[in-house]
Amino acid sequence: MSAPAPARPSGSAPVTRAGHRSRFSSVAAKYIMAITGLIFSAYVLVHMIGNLKVYQGPEAFNSYAHWLRNAFYPVLPYEGLLWILRVVLLVSVIAHIVCALILKSRARRARGGARAPSIRRRRGLGLSVFAGRSMLVTGVVLLLFVIFHILDLTTGTSPAAPDGFQAATHESSYAYSNLVDSFSRWPASLIYIVAMLALALHLLHGLVSSVYDLGIGVGSKARNILAAVALLVALVVALGNITIPVAVLTGLIS
Amino acid sequence: MKLTIDVWRQASDETDGRFVSYTVDDAAAEMSLPELLDRLNSQLVEEGEDPIAFDTDCREGICGTCGITVDGIPHGPEPHTPMCRQHLRSFSDGAHIRMEPFRSSAFPVVRDLVVDRSAMDRVVASGGFVSVDAGTAPDADTRQIPFDMAERALDFSACIGCGACIAACPNGSSHLFTGSLLTHLATLPQGKPERGRRARGVVESAEEEFGPCSVYGECAEVCPAGIPLSAISAVNREAARAAVRRNRDD
Repeated sequence: MSAPAPARPSGSAPVTRAGHRSRFSSVAAKYIMAITGLIFSAYVLVHMIGNLKVYQGPEAFNSYAHWLRNAFYPVLPYEGLLWILRVVLLVSVIAHIVCALILKSRARRARGGARAPSIRRRRGLGLSVFAGRSMLVTGVVLLLFVIFHILDLTTGTSPAAPDGFQAATHESSYAYSNLVDSFSRWPASLIYIVAMLALALHLLHGLVSSVYDLGIGVGSKARNILAAVALLVALVVALGNITIPVAVLTGLIS
Repeated sequence: MKLTIDVWRQASDETDGRFVSYTVDDAAAEMSLPELLDRLNSQLVEEGEDPIAFDTDCREGICGTCGITVDGIPHGPEPHTPMCRQHLRSFSDGAHIRMEPFRSSAFPVVRDLVVDRSAMDRVVASGGFVSVDAGTAPDADTRQIPFDMAERALDFSACIGCGACIAACPNGSSHLFTGSLLTHLATLPQGKPERGRRARGVVESAEEEFGPCSVYGECAEVCPAGIPLSAISAVNREAARAAVRRNRDD
């Protein structure tokens, strides 16, 4: 750290700086956001694939839910895998949100706060640009959704959960009937569908952004491939999940 | 052609500015934007008014001195073109043009369309240079480097330091500028002995002066030097590399 002192013209007014003076660098914040974001991305992809087992019928779905609780027993205790995931995800979500808020406030300050004039965007407002600009909104929607989702299908807390909610026991799991009961209520299904659209937008920008944030140089060709992969992952995760409430509402699953 | 121009007039950083509307009756399609301002200024001087202050120097797109926001877009409607190379043929006869300074917290308005971009100079002074081998020019064949490496360094060293990327950024971030600075110096052998020290100094200074990057990609769209968007990733890459190699200069 032996950078020369910044040159300052003599006799000029004191310099006001638009950045920050915190010891916590924005570079570190962006690495944390990128890594935790990729953890969430991998998680939602695996979660979606697991959800699709609902199409194999009640027994397959319930036994999958039961396996999640007993996975790797006796190496891991009952619900060991679930608790490892819960702790990792909880720590990640807190870190992700804290960094997002810090960066957002720094960005506002650097742009000029409330006094900043709006700038016309050269890139227009296509899907990928819209996804980037709405990260904070889709992020808040996802946070509220995750809380609702846990109350609905994990803890079974009303009014989020359906009336007939049955908690899992050491012997068996009732994930299938809980899911059907929950999605049979159209407002609940609507919440899930809207949340999945928000997730698709969040993934669309987040996956591209995380690659840049990890310091990986992306050329113009590679950028197109990256954007296409992000779109594919976003659509697969969102549409894969959206089919389930639609299937319940249309009576395909009951 | 006849043009109506709304120009930002501001006496200094301490006073508030406002748009003032002017009409130029004898504009021509082949005029550049600085030439339009020159024409308007002679008109203003003839009428006994204060001419509009704006930055301009080479007028051939290589010095990076000029820079105003035209109709909300840094430099103007023509992509990858500095303000001095933007011509009135981009506008229709009778058009209404709005001209204001580059907008960002890091760029205080000095007067009218002139902003203080010394925040960028402070970033460069924090290590964005090569201080070894600074004697007379060595023989061109002394250090041989592959052609594509030289080209890559040239692509990123094309930055003219105009600040349009910062003005275009919704976050007021300088990542395109900072990243191009770090990339070209880290690519060439002359820059390698100070690579780590430079990254620490430049990134720390850039964080003090500018905002964080959200990969919106607006910067590369307005860049008159055509710096590729991949430059922005160099900031995090070089900073992380320097953090891992904690006590090393290279």
